[in-house]
Amino acid sequence: MRCKKLLKYAAGISAFVWVAVLFIFCEARAADIGNCLLCHKYPGLSRIDENGDLKLLFINESVFNNSVHANVKCEGCHPDIKKIPHENVRKVDCMLECHIIEPSSEKKFSHKDVETFLSRSVHSKIDKEGKPKKYPEDYPDCKDCHDNPLYRPLSFFKKVRPGISEIVLGRCRVCHKKDEFIFRFYNHITTRLHAIRSPKNIAEVCAKCHEDPALVARHGLSRKAVSSYAETFHGKAANYLSEGIPDCLNCHVNIGESVHQMLSHKNPESITFKDNKIKSCRMIDCHPHASAKLAKYDVHPEFDKEKSPMEYYFTAFFLILTGGTLLPLAGIMFLDLGRRLFSRKKEDKE
Amino acid sequence: MTAAEEALNAVHGGQTDVEGYFTYVSGVGYIPRDIYKYVKSNPFGDLPRYSVHIVIQHILIFTTFIALAATGIALHYSDLFWAPYVIRLFGGIDTSQLIHRSAAFVMIGASVYHILTIVGSTAQKILKKEFDIRRTQVPLPKDLFDLIHDIKYFLGLTPHRPKMEKFMYKQKIHYLAILWGSFVLISAGTALLFPEHIALLWPFDPAFLQDLARIMHADEAIMALIIIAFWHLSNVHFVPGRFPAQWTVFTGKITREHQLEEHFLEYLRNLSEIPEEREYMRSLLAELGFAEREGSLDETRP
Ligand code: HEC
Ligand code: HEC
Ligand code: HEC
Ligand code: HEC
Ligand code: HEC
Repeated sequence: MRCKKLLKYAAGISAFVWVAVLFIFCEARAADIGNCLLCHKYPGLSRIDENGDLKLLFINESVFNNSVHANVKCEGCHPDIKKIPHENVRKVDCMLECHIIEPSSEKKFSHKDVETFLSRSVHSKIDKEGKPKKYPEDYPDCKDCHDNPLYRPLSFFKKVRPGISEIVLGRCRVCHKKDEFIFRFYNHITTRLHAIRSPKNIAEVCAKCHEDPALVARHGLSRKAVSSYAETFHGKAANYLSEGIPDCLNCHVNIGESVHQMLSHKNPESITFKDNKIKSCRMIDCHPHASAKLAKYDVHPEFDKEKSPMEYYFTAFFLILTGGTLLPLAGIMFLDLGRRLFSRKKEDKE
Repeated sequence: MTAAEEALNAVHGGQTDVEGYFTYVSGVGYIPRDIYKYVKSNPFGDLPRYSVHIVIQHILIFTTFIALAATGIALHYSDLFWAPYVIRLFGGIDTSQLIHRSAAFVMIGASVYHILTIVGSTAQKILKKEFDIRRTQVPLPKDLFDLIHDIKYFLGLTPHRPKMEKFMYKQKIHYLAILWGSFVLISAGTALLFPEHIALLWPFDPAFLQDLARIMHADEAIMALIIIAFWHLSNVHFVPGRFPAQWTVFTGKITREHQLEEHFLEYLRNLSEIPEEREYMRSLLAELGFAEREGSLDETRP
């Protein structure tokens, strides 16, 4: 604990020194504010925030350049940073219009549509009548679910495997001259041809809220969704980074719609609605020939006394059976062992 | 009636004295109960116990058991720190899934093989009129008395262990446990492996059945693992005198000492079935000075 605190202070002081040094040396360079990495490429760059937590301000350039936002300039998302030292830095707003022109519509790119999808989903902060829901702070916004994910390019040349196919790049070069462009475009497309995050990763995102017992209770949800997922083979295999099993989205997103438009299972339009569920079970890679009865299986089982008493007592029965068999057997074994050692000692004496 | 059968019937019918220290076998002599302390034994076994089929079945069962337990328990406890290492050892989740299923098929095969062996050899014995329920794994009232007797012995209340058959009470409990365990694991495992078919076949709420299968498969497996690790291994293989292993599982033969101590009645059958063994025992008794005893047992007690 102590060590951690010391570290924090040390980091704080180092940031302070940085500011001081940079302040002097940057007066002349204020025009070069665009070159954010000049300073932010240093791993030690950090400060202590208002809550006393260490905040790392280091940006790893090579990681950033492999992320989906690599083409966006720092100022694209941090438009308010114009000065050094920066003054009242505001939180990044994901709805900003970007400098990038979206090629199909030739408009400035933005994520506004995602907000529309989100507002139609169960995660919307506003209910159908347009009134704010209770506990609005419990509803996720973009940054609750998102970080800046890395590209996950795929090569399909002979076999599907992770990575970039040099042979394919060769074909791109026939028409496109800039390697940078080719590289980005390749990544942009192939990353989207499969899940960008592993099922485990997705579950972790949702766990922030859906494993919080207080939140679950506040919103009248019937169970903790992630640990109950982990009771089934789906969740267990997800823990081993298997990607063949369904993640939260495969079951909760209506097929062909945005992942941001998840609906409550009570909503008849939702794929998790009791009459629709079987559609997700029957996805081509899952149980394509399953009968409608398969959908009756509980994919979020929670074994506790109140919700599933039969299962609870069943588990108890097995515990008692194990104990009830093992203890007497072990008792006999130890008695036997005792007698063997005892009589051996006696013989040794004789 | 052979000499051994006479002696056996006497024991089962309670006709000998309470202690039964000496057992008379005609043509051999009076065998004292603690003779096992004096016999010569080959650690790899002297007397027949298991046929080659049983040996093969045991090898199949324990190798598949290890593979099943390692992959299965690691999957069940996927959130524990050591589990990923085990899964990686088996080549990742997809490969270990395949290993788990293949091992299960082999184990089921071995179980079927076992049933065939048992049914076949029992039928053979019945035809030859050699069948004797006392030599089987079927629990009998005598096992309960043996258990009580043995506990008394362990506590030092009686001087000698009970005279037991080829399968003693512990082995019968264990065998029953394996029957139950295989039934539970195989049926629940099938339900987990073929969710679609089981949902179709089961006339009631399939969710309940599936939940039970999940619980049963995991809990029974953990129980089996605990029993095997803490009880079967320590009891059968790590007991003082048998460590590091009881080779019976590979050779099919039991040591003379062990047979005499824990399966005395089976030893008597060995005496009538194996002439060389009769010869050995006779000369051993002579060597120890027990051969010439006559008259009532009480007089001969040292
Ligand atoms: C001259 C060096 C320097 C340059 C150039 C620079 N920064 Fe910083 N930046 C700092 C230092 C030092 C801090 C930590 C102290 C602070 O909070 O002001 C910081 C903090 C930040 C923070 C965190 C603010 C907070 O309190 O959470 C952000 C965001 C940030 N910089 C973004 C940028 C962006 C975007 C650029 C380019 C437009 C940029 N910086 C250019 C030195 C620099
Ligand atoms: C896609 C938009 C985006 C781009 C591009 C971007 N950032 Fe950020 N940055 C964010 C978000 C979101 C945060 C999280 C803090 C927040 O919500 O304001 C953040 C936080 C930071 C922080 C503070 C770290 C912290 O823990 O709060 C620094 C420093 C920073 N960015 C520097 C940069 C630099 C340097 C670049 C250019 C290489 C850059 N950012 C490009 C969106 C972006
Ligand atoms: C409930 C959590 C959640 C919230 C809130 C959320 N997203 Fe997402 N978003 C996801 C998930 C999960 C994915 C799919 C990632 C994958 O396929 O691996 C995703 C994917 C995306 C994508 C990639 C395109 C796609 O649909 O796969 C974009 C862009 C995106 N989100 C933007 C946003 C923006 C902007 C917001 C805020 C308005 C937002 N998201 C809010 C969970 C969320
Ligand atoms: C910031 C917290 C938060 C995060 C992160 C979050 N959720 Fe939610 N989620 C909620 C809240 C709050 C509700 C309750 C909505 C209501 O009933 O009004 C909810 C409801 C839901 C429901 C509807 C439940 C029903 O009644 O059927 C689903 C499905 C759902 N979330 C899935 C997800 C998935 C999948 C993720 C991860 C990608 C996720 N959520 C991430 C807060 C969150
Ligand atoms: C195999 C498909 C499947 C997967 C995978 C799955 N769900 Fe569900 N989920 C459902 C279905 C179907 C329901 C509707 C309730 C029911 O029928 O049991 C549901 C219900 C829910 C609910 C509402 C339950 C309540 O409290 O009333 C939440 C929240 C939820 N899921 C979140 C998640 C999250 C988070 C994940 C990922 C960790 C996830 N689900 C993974 C199929 C799935």
